[in-house]
Amino acid sequence: MGKKILRINMTELKATYEDVPAEWARWAGRGLTSTIVCDEVDPGCHPLGPNNKLVIAPGWVTGSPAAPSSGRTSFGAKSPLTGGIKESNAGGLSGQKLAKLGLHAVIVEGQPTDKKWYYAVITNDGVTFHEADGLMGKGMYEVDDILGEKYPKTAIIGIGQAGEMKLSNAGISVNDPENKPGRYAGRGGLGAIMGARGLKAIVVDDKGGPGVEIADKECFTNGRKALAAAIGEHALTKKDGGLNAYGTAILVNILNEAGGLPTRNFSSGHFEGAAKISGEAMSEAIEKRGAGKMGHGCHPGCIIQCSNIFPDEEGNELVSAIEYETAWSLGANCGIDDLDYIAHATRECNDIGLDTIEAGNTVAIAMEGGLLEFGDAKGAIKLFDEIRKGTPLGRILGQGVEATAKAFGVHRVPTVKGQSMPAYEPRAVKGIGVTYVTTPMGADHTAGYTIAPEIAGVGGKVDPLSNEGKGDLSLAFQATTAFIDSTGYCLFIAFPILDIAEGFAGMVDTVAGVTGLKITGDDVVPLGKEILKKERLFNEAAGFTAADDRPPEFMRDEFLPPHNVNWTISDDVLDGVYAWVHAD
Amino acid sequence: MKTNDGNHEIHEPLTIHVVLYGAVARYGGGKHIASIYMDFEAGAVLGNLYEELKLPQNEKGYVFVNSVLCDAPGLNASETLMLQNGDHVGIFSANHMWPYQYRDGIRMSDALREVLQERGAMHHSYSDSPPDQ
Repeated sequence: MGKKILRINMTELKATYEDVPAEWARWAGRGLTSTIVCDEVDPGCHPLGPNNKLVIAPGWVTGSPAAPSSGRTSFGAKSPLTGGIKESNAGGLSGQKLAKLGLHAVIVEGQPTDKKWYYAVITNDGVTFHEADGLMGKGMYEVDDILGEKYPKTAIIGIGQAGEMKLSNAGISVNDPENKPGRYAGRGGLGAIMGARGLKAIVVDDKGGPGVEIADKECFTNGRKALAAAIGEHALTKKDGGLNAYGTAILVNILNEAGGLPTRNFSSGHFEGAAKISGEAMSEAIEKRGAGKMGHGCHPGCIIQCSNIFPDEEGNELVSAIEYETAWSLGANCGIDDLDYIAHATRECNDIGLDTIEAGNTVAIAMEGGLLEFGDAKGAIKLFDEIRKGTPLGRILGQGVEATAKAFGVHRVPTVKGQSMPAYEPRAVKGIGVTYVTTPMGADHTAGYTIAPEIAGVGGKVDPLSNEGKGDLSLAFQATTAFIDSTGYCLFIAFPILDIAEGFAGMVDTVAGVTGLKITGDDVVPLGKEILKKERLFNEAAGFTAADDRPPEFMRDEFLPPHNVNWTISDDVLDGVYAWVHAD
Repeated sequence: MKTNDGNHEIHEPLTIHVVLYGAVARYGGGKHIASIYMDFEAGAVLGNLYEELKLPQNEKGYVFVNSVLCDAPGLNASETLMLQNGDHVGIFSANHMWPYQYRDGIRMSDALREVLQERGAMHHSYSDSPPDQ
């Protein structure tokens, strides 16, 4: 049996299974969500209106037997936060179960005419729709508990109160192996798109599903072994390696020592309390409290296991996971050095259904706007309750950084294309700045992961202090990332496949083995560029111009301590990154 | 003690603030993080500091002096760097990750820049045998 497209029509409460069109068959993950959005969504539509669609797709290798760290699910739509195309992917249980049901993608479209809310249950026998009265107004911890009890051992995709209110900072939750929320397709407000379809949750039960067909078993198996060996060997990704021991928050102290940790709404690159909110501090607290754990896997089959479970002060498991960007946005960028506050605020975000990056940046804007003082953890935690309750203040905060900046008269707004910047100061880390401002996704740290220069075709020697070549390099990184986002692999395989050639070849072989596509390492960047071109053209049709590929004004004007540097990348470099889209 | 024009006197002893992160914290008396002050004679270099800590070369990762990146895993580009009184030195374990895209354009020492221009700035050096470029 070939794969199917599952189309869920919320207007008619009807589900249909369709053959996969030839032009969609070669894509998966981000490549597929962006292709379907480009083919079926009017770029000029209102993101919350009836003409937008939510597309869900597992990656190429997701659900295949024992492909390591490959459980990502891509979610795509026109974003209410950026007004452009958006792909956001998450770990958790959904990708593998959708793939094992033989689903190439799920398209959610339409809106219920009766204004009611529903949840859908996808099984091998089809789709059933259920009124969601018992779930409405509830946060994702309770939603996962209720649905997990009724439908054990299933994946639960859902939205918290933020998605119900269709707030632009609403994310989509996927449950983890312990049936807790915390794996989020967070960025870009895709939870609001799900809410606008009247869909509170999707339950995925893969029992009896056909599984994932492998086109070339030998190619797949050899590739899987080579990739797993590379992950297991590399200092960062191996057991007890950097990621496993300290999680992604291992970066807090490094960026702080480098003067690149955005602090108090991007007014400094150094935070005096950084060590207290770092991965090292998390490990210390977990050992001291005798509860929680580092080295937690966010989905079955992950062999990197960079997630964590953080306990409260009494030693009860509180939240998973505190990532680097979370510790930074809720901590350093708000001038808060209290790890317990960060844990509680992260749990609030997971429950209400908020992207932690946008949420932390929003609190920082509210602090700069005078609503509360930088460093005021007690005041900050109350803001999440405002959002949960949907008070007028909460609804402003839930719209994210730009709306909050307007409400509080703040001109120092760290956004690109409406989306706020992650945890790397682009004035200090100049290379990431090019990616922030040119990616079709809005400011996004995951949009440009490193690829070996010989594969990227940008030459082996790069002057780390020169602006020259940063545009070409960013494009190569963005293209590679678009490819990896389509595989279903976690982006962290980028480390071993960069350093260990056999690992890179193995990764490509697993894709070729599962799909039967005749691809090699040389195809990675060209395929990635195909995806980027679709996304770029969608954004242009939605009204984006070169003016949207620019850094925030204050970053040109203000010099960032401790290095006292400002934005120095020229507009010509930025305009050159995507010039090929119309030249090819 | 300083001279009238603000320069350090040649024979002034140095007090250096050192923070060790990750597994190397044990060389400073900690488990995950160690923050210590160390005294040296004038003219001391980072190599002396590593010796004093008994920090093995292969355990040393990224090294910063006053927010300037001076060394990276496996490169050993910082041993001859002169220390100044009041310097802050941050030393990370060899397995601390810092993906290239998140350090591309960061401020670094001249010595490290030279090494990276020779070796290629992009590759991590965590593996014993980084791929040829």
